[in-house]
Amino acid sequence: MAAGPSGTKPGSRFRNLISFLMRELISNKWLVALFRLIVGITFLYASLDKIVHPDQFARIVYNYKILPGFLINIFAITLPWMELFCGLFLILGLLVESSSLLISLLLISFIIALSLNFLRGVDIACGCFTTDPNAKKEGAWLLIRDLVLLLMSLQILFFNRDFLSLQKIFRKK
Amino acid sequence: MSLKKGSSRIFLQAILIVIFSLFIGVIYNTISKEGISLKGNWSKKVLSDSLIVPYSYDKNDPPAITLAQAMTYFQSHNIIFLDARSETDYKAGHISKALNLPFEEFEKYYPKVEPLLTKDKNIITYCDGTECEASLFLARLLRDKGFKNLKIFFGGWTEWNKAGLPVQKSN
Repeated sequence: MAAGPSGTKPGSRFRNLISFLMRELISNKWLVALFRLIVGITFLYASLDKIVHPDQFARIVYNYKILPGFLINIFAITLPWMELFCGLFLILGLLVESSSLLISLLLISFIIALSLNFLRGVDIACGCFTTDPNAKKEGAWLLIRDLVLLLMSLQILFFNRDFLSLQKIFRKK
Repeated sequence: MSLKKGSSRIFLQAILIVIFSLFIGVIYNTISKEGISLKGNWSKKVLSDSLIVPYSYDKNDPPAITLAQAMTYFQSHNIIFLDARSETDYKAGHISKALNLPFEEFEKYYPKVEPLLTKDKNIITYCDGTECEASLFLARLLRDKGFKNLKIFFGGWTEWNKAGLPVQKSN
């Protein structure tokens, strides 16, 4: 008997196995559930302080110097609730795809806004230009955090299979 | 994969979440004590041709001065310039003879500067430029500490340096 399908070398078989395992891992339902919990709790937690102190959050938005003035307050009023609902939906397993889509879009815009200010040399904490290395370090850390969250959120968006979620109950009906 | 099956449904739901958040946000903002105006005023205030101040500047704040006034004060004796920027920015270049009192680390730096300040001395705070509020916030902190003769030079380091006026660097 032949060792395998014609034209398949042992090397490529190994590679197939690896890619099979990777695919299995990345689409693993437990991993999706874990990421839903991590991203959900992060966004839920992040939203609370902004809801309680809209004036402080509006100032931060202003400091990014990206949105035009007339949009700053309405953005600062809406965004925290969006984070709250999306975070809650991810944890409960409701509207998982649309929530993770919104969270991914938010994270992409945060990453763009952060990088833009990183390049312009704006210290977001005070909204002024600085060469302070600490401010740069903090910006880099925020960027890495957002990138990791974005990867998790995209994994949820593409591989959600309603495992451990309320959505499953509604879909069955 | 569920995404391919109903991507238009997902987009529609996402838009509904945004609209719902806007709705709840506006309602909460209206009833909350901490609520802010829906259309905030974030533009800089123009007090005169040569005097532009940040939106947060209030008429109860210490007086704002122009570059020309800052120059006049600079030549008088009973005056101290306070640089409200970070130590790194201060060291890279500051108004001659200015002292560094970073607004963001006020508690750390204040004890070093305090012996050099007397309540009757004229104190001028400045930071990077008109976009920057550290000078304003520093002046407010000093006012609360009992200093009376405070002034804010909003043109700050940018205007001063551009005008080719005396500057210093420290290592």
